[in-house]
Amino acid sequence: MSVKALEMRRSASPLHDRPHTRRLDQVDPYLLIATLLLIGYGLVMTYAVTVESRTLTGDPMQFVIRGAIWAVIGIAVMVTVAMFDYAWLGTLAPLVYLFMLGLLGVVLAIGTSSLGAQRSVNFGGLSFQFSEVAKVLMIVVLAKFFGDRTDKMGSPLTILGGLVFLGPAVYLVYRQPDLGTSLVFVAIFFGMAFMAGARLWQLVGLVALAGAALPAIWNVLKPYQQARLTAFIDPYADPQGAGWNIIQSLIAVGSGGPTGKGLTAGTQSPLGYLPIAESDFVFAGLAEDLGFVGAVILFALYVVLLMAALRVAFRARDPFGMLLGAGVAAMLVFQILVNVGMAISLMPVTGIPLPFISHGGSSLVSICFALGVLQSVAMRRPGPEIS
Amino acid sequence: MRSAPRDFVRPNRFIAMAVAIVLVFTGLTVRLWDLQVVGGAHYRDLAEQNRVLRLPVEAERGVIVDRNGKVLARNLPGFAVTVIPFDLPRAQQADLALRLAPLVARDPKDVSSAIDVQRGRNPYEPVKISLRPVAREIALLLSERGEMFPGVRVEAESIRSYADAVLYSPLLGYVGPVTEDEFATLREKGYLQQDLIGRTGLESQYENYLRGGYGWREIERDAAQREIKQLAYSAPTTGNSVVLTIDDRLQKLIESELKKGVDEDKFTQAVGIAMNPQNGEILAMVSIPGYDNNWFIDGITPQQMAQLNGDDRHPLVNKAIGDRYPPGSTFKLVTGLSALSEGIANRNTIVNVTSNVLTVDGYRFYDWRAHGTLDFVNGFAHSSDIYFYTLGGGNPNTGRAGAGPEAIYKYGSDLGFGSKTGIDLPGEDAGIMPSPEWKLQVFDEPWTIGNTYHESIGQGFVAVTPLQLLNAYSIVANGGTFYRPHLLKQVVGPQGNVVFTQQPNVLRKVGITQENLTLLREAARRVVTIGHAYMPNAKLPIAGKTGTAEFGSSAGKDSAGRNKLGFHNWFVSFLPKADNTEPTADIAMVIFTFDSSRSLCENCFNPAVGMTQRILEAYKLGKP
Repeated sequence: MSVKALEMRRSASPLHDRPHTRRLDQVDPYLLIATLLLIGYGLVMTYAVTVESRTLTGDPMQFVIRGAIWAVIGIAVMVTVAMFDYAWLGTLAPLVYLFMLGLLGVVLAIGTSSLGAQRSVNFGGLSFQFSEVAKVLMIVVLAKFFGDRTDKMGSPLTILGGLVFLGPAVYLVYRQPDLGTSLVFVAIFFGMAFMAGARLWQLVGLVALAGAALPAIWNVLKPYQQARLTAFIDPYADPQGAGWNIIQSLIAVGSGGPTGKGLTAGTQSPLGYLPIAESDFVFAGLAEDLGFVGAVILFALYVVLLMAALRVAFRARDPFGMLLGAGVAAMLVFQILVNVGMAISLMPVTGIPLPFISHGGSSLVSICFALGVLQSVAMRRPGPEIS
Repeated sequence: MRSAPRDFVRPNRFIAMAVAIVLVFTGLTVRLWDLQVVGGAHYRDLAEQNRVLRLPVEAERGVIVDRNGKVLARNLPGFAVTVIPFDLPRAQQADLALRLAPLVARDPKDVSSAIDVQRGRNPYEPVKISLRPVAREIALLLSERGEMFPGVRVEAESIRSYADAVLYSPLLGYVGPVTEDEFATLREKGYLQQDLIGRTGLESQYENYLRGGYGWREIERDAAQREIKQLAYSAPTTGNSVVLTIDDRLQKLIESELKKGVDEDKFTQAVGIAMNPQNGEILAMVSIPGYDNNWFIDGITPQQMAQLNGDDRHPLVNKAIGDRYPPGSTFKLVTGLSALSEGIANRNTIVNVTSNVLTVDGYRFYDWRAHGTLDFVNGFAHSSDIYFYTLGGGNPNTGRAGAGPEAIYKYGSDLGFGSKTGIDLPGEDAGIMPSPEWKLQVFDEPWTIGNTYHESIGQGFVAVTPLQLLNAYSIVANGGTFYRPHLLKQVVGPQGNVVFTQQPNVLRKVGITQENLTLLREAARRVVTIGHAYMPNAKLPIAGKTGTAEFGSSAGKDSAGRNKLGFHNWFVSFLPKADNTEPTADIAMVIFTFDSSRSLCENCFNPAVGMTQRILEAYKLGKP
C-alpha cells in the first residue's frame, strides 16, 4: 500500500486522523481570538454588573470567580473537543440525539424551579441548564441528518424528517417552560436547512404555516408570556408590571450615551432596576456602563466570530462539517439578535442568554464546545498538500 | 478529501447568510445609535429620576402659647407610614394592602384606593397611609422587612399635642388631614396630599402662620427602594408660634368655677369670657362642655365621633361665639341707652311700679315684684321689668312714649348685636337683633307692643352670643369704643423674632353720649352695691348686670344625665380701676350658665354673680 493510499484510507476513517502537528496550523485564528476576547469581555461585564450590585447578596466577587472558573472549563472543553475529529460526532449522532432528549427529560423530571420555570438541574452544588447543551447537540443531530442528504434536500420528506427530530426537543424545552430557547431550536433548524440547500418555497411555506397557526399558538401561551408580548408592543400600558423590564432596560441603554457612564458606574443595573442584570439583561448593563462604543466593539467581535464560523463552514471537508458551522452561526446570531433586541425593545422579553456576556456556565461551556467542534472542522479542512 | 466534490457548498446561501448577519448587526447598531447618541440625554434624566428620589421633609407646625408663654399646643415626635405608588408594582398592590392594613388599623380596600388615587395623581410622591401615628415597633418592622412591603416608607412626623385639651379645644380646634376636594386648591399653596391642616378654631384661623414650609431631601435608592445615601438636603421652615391674648391663669380660674357649678348640678353648660375693654384682647374664653381635641389627632374612632355628635350639649360648638341665647335682663343696657339717647329718659326718670303686672290691650306683662317708685339707677339696679317695659315701649294706658323698637334696633346694632364681632375664630354666630322690618320679613307679621316689651327685657326675638353681650358692656366700660375682640397677641418666628403684633382694632365709636355711658356705669355698679347682684364682702368695685332668661321646658335630662332646668343665668361685669364711674375698666367678664334652676333666681341667687366675684378676686388679688 502506497503512502498516498494509506493516507487516503486513514483520512477517510474517523479513527485514523492526520498528525496533530500539521493541523494546528489550520486552527482558525479569527475564530479563536474572537472567542477568547469575547470570553474576556464577558468576565469584565460579570464583574461590572455584580461587583456593585446592592441586590445580590453574599460576596460580590463570587460571580466573577465562578465566571472565571467556567471560562477555564470552557476553554479546556474547546481545546479538547478540537483535538478530536468531529466525524466522531456524526458517527455517534443517534446516541447524541437520545442523550439530548434524556437531558431535557431530566430537567422536566427533577429540575429546580427558578422564577416560575423549571430550567436547571442541580448537581454537586452547581446548577446546569441542560437546554444550553441540548441546543448544540441538536445542531450535531441536524448536521448529520441534513449532511447525509445534501442530494435530497429538494424533497419535502427531508425537511419533514428534520422536523421529526426537532419536534420532541422543542416540545420538551417549551414545557419547562422556556419559550425563548425553544425558538432558538427553531432558528437553528431554519438556518441549517437553508444552508443545506432546502428549497426556499418549502421554508417559506413552513413560516407561513407557523404564521397561520399564530392564533392557536397564542392561546397555548401562558398568561405571562402573552403579557410579555403585549408589553413589547406597548411597554407603557403597564409600566409597573409587564412593561417594567422593557422601560428600565431602555433607560439603562439610553442613559449610557455615546461613551457610557464608565465601568461599574452605571446606576440602573447596580441599583437593581434591571431584572436579572447579570444574565438576561446584561446587555443593558453593558450599554449603560460602556455606551455606544462598548456595544459596537462587542458587535464587531461578534461579527468577526460569525464570519469566521461561516468561513470554517465554507471550507469544511464535508457537508456535516459545513452544517455544524452553519448551525452554530445560526444559533449565535439568533441569540444575539433576540437578547440585544430585547434590551433595546426590538424583541419581546425572553430569557435567552447573550453569548459569552451573560453570566452562566452552561451557556458558556456549551458555546465553547460548539466552537471547539468548529475548530475541529477548521483543522480538518482540506488544506494544502503536505509533502 | 481534497478531491471530493464540493457541490454541497452553496456560495449564494453563504452570501445570503453573511448579508443577514450584517443586516442584523446594522439594525441593532442603528437602534443603539438612536437610543444612546440621539436620545442619551433624555434617558439619562430618566435614570436619574429613577435613582434619585426627592422626598418632602415635614416642617414642624408652630406652637400656640398663652400671653405668658404657657404652651397650649405643641408637637411630639412620631412615625407615619407612606407608600410611593411608583415603587409598588400593581400586581402586588392587593397583597400589600392586605398586609399593611392591619398595621395601620385600616381597611385593605381603603389602603388600596388611597394608593390608586395617588397613582393617578403623582406616582412618584408618597401618600400617607397611616391615619394616626404608628407604634415604634410597627415602624421598625416596616423598615426592616422592606421586601415584604414594597413601596412602603416610614417617615418621622410630628404629632400635634394639646395641653388641657378639653379646656382649650373650643378655642384651639384641631388639625386634620386635608380632604380630596380641598387638596385640589391647596396643592398650589404647597400642601401635600398627606398634609394636615387646621380644621377649626385657632388652628384653622392661623393656619398660615402656624404652618411651616416643607424642606426636601434627595436620596439615592435601589430598585427595592432601599435608601443608599442622602444626596442633598434642604431644611424645612418651622411654622411661626402664635401667642394668644389668653391668660391661662384666668382661663383655669373660670374653668374651675364653672366646672364646680356643673358638678353641683346648678347648671349643665356654661360659658365664661373675659376681655380687656381697653383693647379688645380676650383674656379667657371657656365653653363647657368642651371635647378632647387630641382624639382627632390620634385618629378619632367612629364611637368617639358618634359620642360627640350624639351629645345634646353640642360639645363641638364653642358656645362663647357659636350659639345664641336670650340675653334676659342684661339687655336692659340697650333698652336704657336707647331711651336715654333718644331723650325719652334721663337719670331722674321715674316709673311707679305699684304692681308686678302691667296690662296693655288685655295682655299682662309681669315684673318679678312690685318695686314702688324707681328712678333710672334703681330701675337698673333692681332690674325692674316694668321700668324697662316703660322705657322701651312706653305705656299706652297713660300715653307715655317709649324709645320704640326702631331706636332699640339702632342702638343695639351700634353696640354690636345682630352682627358678628369679627373675633379671630371661625364659627361665630351673628345673633338676632330684631326690628319691625325684620319681623315682617321673617314672620310676615307686624310688630306689636308686646314684642317691644319682651325685647326691652331681653326676651322674645332678641338673641345674643355671650361674646356680643360682653362686647356691648365693654363698650360701656371703656367709654364708647368698639374694639374688635381678638385672641391673637403676637406671631413669633422660629428664631424668636416677632413677625406680627396685633394692634387694638377700633371698629367704631358708638353714637352714645359720654354722659349716658357714665350713667350706665353708675347704674351697673349699683347693681352690685344695692341691687340684684349683691356681693357680700366685696373686695373689688365690680359693676355688672344680671340676667335670667326662660328658654324652654324644664324637664328631662341631658346627655350627661343632668336635669334640664329651663333657665339661663347671666352676669356680665366690668371692673373699673377705682370705685367710680370713670371708663377705666381693664377687665370685663361674662358668665353664662345654661339650664340653671329657676329657684336659684327667685332667691335672687344668680350663680354667675358669686362665680364672677370669686374669679375676679382670685385673679386680681390672688398670687399669679
